[in-house]
Amino acid sequence: MATLLATFASETELERALERFPADRWPALETYSPLPLSGQPEQSPLPALMFAAGMLGFFGFFFLMAYADTQGYPHNIGGRPAFAWPAFIPIAFELGVLCAMVAGFVGYFVVCRLPKLYDEVDEFDGSRRGLCDRWLLCVRIDAAKGLSEAHAIFRTLNPESLEERA
Amino acid sequence: MSNASETLRADAPVIGPNLNLESMTDRISRIALRERAHAWWWIAFIPSAALTLLLIVAIAYLFYEGIGIWGVNWPVMWGFAILCYVWWIAIASGGTIISALFFLVHAEWRTSINRIAESMMLFGAAAAGIYPVLHLGRPWLFYWLFFYPNTMTLWAQFRSPLLWDFWALFTYVFASVLFWYVGLLPDLASVRDRAERGLKQRMYAVFAMGFRGSSGQWRHLRAVYGVMAAIMTPVVISIHSIVGLDFAGAATTGWHVTQFPPFFVCGALLSGFAIVLLLIIPLRRFLNLEDMVTGRHIGVLAKLLLTSSLLLAYAYLMDAFSACYGGNPGDLALLAARLHGEYAPVYWGAVLFNVLLPQLLWSRKLRVHIPTLMLLSLGVVIGMWMERYLIVVTSLSRPTLVSAWGVFHPTFWDWATLAGTVGLFLSGILLSVRFVPVVAMHEMRALIVSAQARSE
Repeated sequence: MATLLATFASETELERALERFPADRWPALETYSPLPLSGQPEQSPLPALMFAAGMLGFFGFFFLMAYADTQGYPHNIGGRPAFAWPAFIPIAFELGVLCAMVAGFVGYFVVCRLPKLYDEVDEFDGSRRGLCDRWLLCVRIDAAKGLSEAHAIFRTLNPESLEERA
Repeated sequence: MSNASETLRADAPVIGPNLNLESMTDRISRIALRERAHAWWWIAFIPSAALTLLLIVAIAYLFYEGIGIWGVNWPVMWGFAILCYVWWIAIASGGTIISALFFLVHAEWRTSINRIAESMMLFGAAAAGIYPVLHLGRPWLFYWLFFYPNTMTLWAQFRSPLLWDFWALFTYVFASVLFWYVGLLPDLASVRDRAERGLKQRMYAVFAMGFRGSSGQWRHLRAVYGVMAAIMTPVVISIHSIVGLDFAGAATTGWHVTQFPPFFVCGALLSGFAIVLLLIIPLRRFLNLEDMVTGRHIGVLAKLLLTSSLLLAYAYLMDAFSACYGGNPGDLALLAARLHGEYAPVYWGAVLFNVLLPQLLWSRKLRVHIPTLMLLSLGVVIGMWMERYLIVVTSLSRPTLVSAWGVFHPTFWDWATLAGTVGLFLSGILLSVRFVPVVAMHEMRALIVSAQARSE
């Protein structure tokens, strides 16, 4: 098992490298970049999760308030109806928002499997510039044959640096 | 303070020509990683920390003695606590508008001042948030406002705007922290990667949570940050509208007006933009950020200050108009007291600082003239405080029944608490400038990369 980390000076060079490492043949690929890559797919379950949590929060707290004012402790204030639904909207909205924000926040860490204070890639010197001005491609390889093939591809790509760790 | 001789141009690009990815990351990280703080930082921090100590003393004495130490009394039961709460929450809201709304509209100028605006939102909300709790009278029972099963089977009064306000504030403060932290993760990671081995690196590593800029981390971050920005924008409008409803919901002279929610939002915009200007103008100089916060940023903020001032002018006009049009003797007497009675200095002070003086910004030259902008912004901050004083104090002191009229006199402890919250706000801003990356580096990189692509 070996890991290779190649450093590129621009996103275009990284994209070119990715074309040479198709995901179906090289499943253990990871890129690290100082800003989001432009051509990447944008799918994420988080917006849907936030929407669901927001709706749950909104309707959950709306019904809680409706229950409290009509069943739990109905009290007459100036003859206003107990089920004063427009008055429940602001709190339901705020708490719906709160649920959506918390779901997005917690969801992000769950989906990205964070916190992860140590990763193999931290051992490479090149990784220190991954969030500065370099675009990195990390390839994990199981077999010796794959390793020599990866080296051959990288030689043609001419990365700024190439590090290998067993 | 700022160099008056500096010539700024409102049509300058949003970033300087010599800025590249490495120099930008290096400079911003170095500010956070600096071993010893600059002399100016200590000069600003020591008095701010002293004022924060004063706040702690004021709160301790309040807890010991009760709210009788303040000037609140019948009929002015909402004194400094509520007026300062409204004033602070407005300042915080301006920060959210810049960081959330202008993110959604892809405003390039927002990028470099976003972090400062977010810090302003956090510490403005912190300064605001303590006031309503202190004002409860029995602050240790604040948890009665939550929904919780209790032995009295008693629920909160969901139909009251005051309870709406509690939840709006709670959500706003909590959501602001989450929004700020998510946007901060990549920058904390950048600082971690540039720190020497040691305690500082470990601290940044812990707070960066292992963010490394992998494709998945970026993809989900973009998604979650975008949705959070889309949520925060209506939240900030809602918080200030609900603060407006706290007043409009009461059948009190001068308050019972439907325009209050948008009126409050306009005021929030004005004071927010003024404080952002007051913060970024000195900070860009002290932190050498002139090529990241350029004349373009300052010019745009000056235009926004002018726009929100015009919106507020409309609200002032409508406020006076609705009193006259409604014809309620109580409202008319209050308007007369404001226009030419004992409250005239406060009323005309608010009009001068919030409406008349900002009209100078119609001049293209003055929009990038640093001393003028600093003075106008400071004037707006004072003017907005006067406006809150007008709304809270003058209305309450002039109820409909003449026999119930009263006068409000703030005490030393009112002023001490106000000064203390100013100290808390400034200390928070200074600490965040010292230890948190002061510019959103990952967003700046997109600007730099696209500028480089254009020049090639």
